[in-house]
Amino acid sequence: MNLGDVLHKDLVKVPLTGVTKNQVIEELVDLLVTRRQLPNRDEILKAVMDREHLGSTGLVDGIAIPHAKTDAVSEVFVVVGVSASPVPFESQDGEDCSYFFLVLAPSDHASAHIEILSAIARTTASSSFKRILKAVKSPDELYELFID
Amino acid sequence: MEQMFKRLLVYLDGSEDSMSAAMASIVLAKQLGASLTAVYVVNTKALLDLVKAHIFLDAEQQEYQRDIEGDAQRHLNHVQKLGRKKGVDITCLRREGEVTKEVRACISEHNIDILVLGGLSEIHSRRDELLSDTDRMMRSASLPVFVVKDNDDVWDMYESLEDIDGEEMYESR
Repeated sequence: MNLGDVLHKDLVKVPLTGVTKNQVIEELVDLLVTRRQLPNRDEILKAVMDREHLGSTGLVDGIAIPHAKTDAVSEVFVVVGVSASPVPFESQDGEDCSYFFLVLAPSDHASAHIEILSAIARTTASSSFKRILKAVKSPDELYELFID
Repeated sequence: MEQMFKRLLVYLDGSEDSMSAAMASIVLAKQLGASLTAVYVVNTKALLDLVKAHIFLDAEQQEYQRDIEGDAQRHLNHVQKLGRKKGVDITCLRREGEVTKEVRACISEHNIDILVLGGLSEIHSRRDELLSDTDRMMRSASLPVFVVKDNDDVWDMYESLEDIDGEEMYESR
């Protein structure tokens, strides 16, 4: 499985309107639940928040990868968002975050989950990718960035 | 002419495509009279990378490793059972490390002469080509690679083989 298999244009939101960590996570979860008509919104949100309470998934350079293993979903999902302005996320470098990659997978998809998280980590670690990411203004542009 | 393929290796990663590859490799092994090895690699390299990148906490790494080990055992057991049903003994290996490196090592250690892979992911971008383990394996393999693509046909081929032990198959997933 690769990132292109699970990245879908309708699960990309630019800009996000949330201004706090919780609001951004809820916005990403809500986008997924609405677009895929999933019934377990609260269970999904709780799984992500529970993981976040163990330690922030805010990394460096404005990137956060909130994630959770939850059987409230039946396949691997990636939801991507860019916030209108940086959001405090208790990230590793202390900087606020603007780029969010929510990754969810059921417990029996552990290998695929790891593969997707690794793909996002490798992709977002590239300085040229980050430079281009900062210029993104729309969901289409963000999607194309991964697909082109 | 000497038999070309005597030792087959099928790579499993828990995906449906890799299970199709397993069924196709059972059919091939049966028809060629070749030995069959199945390998599942617990990608501990990726887990460690995620910890180093601070995406995973230590506890998370351990939990996911247990999950993947469980997945690996479940899939290997299932493939072994598929083989047994058709009278094909399968050597099942569970390895840990970097996927492509471990598969290459397995090929060398077991003198494998053909690698069977599940269908490759659709290429969405040049970036994808660099990110898929299966793609990497196919590109870096120094031996013939058999890529299984049509799951329905594979299922039919597998089912057309005579059952040996008449076991009832279970649904693995």
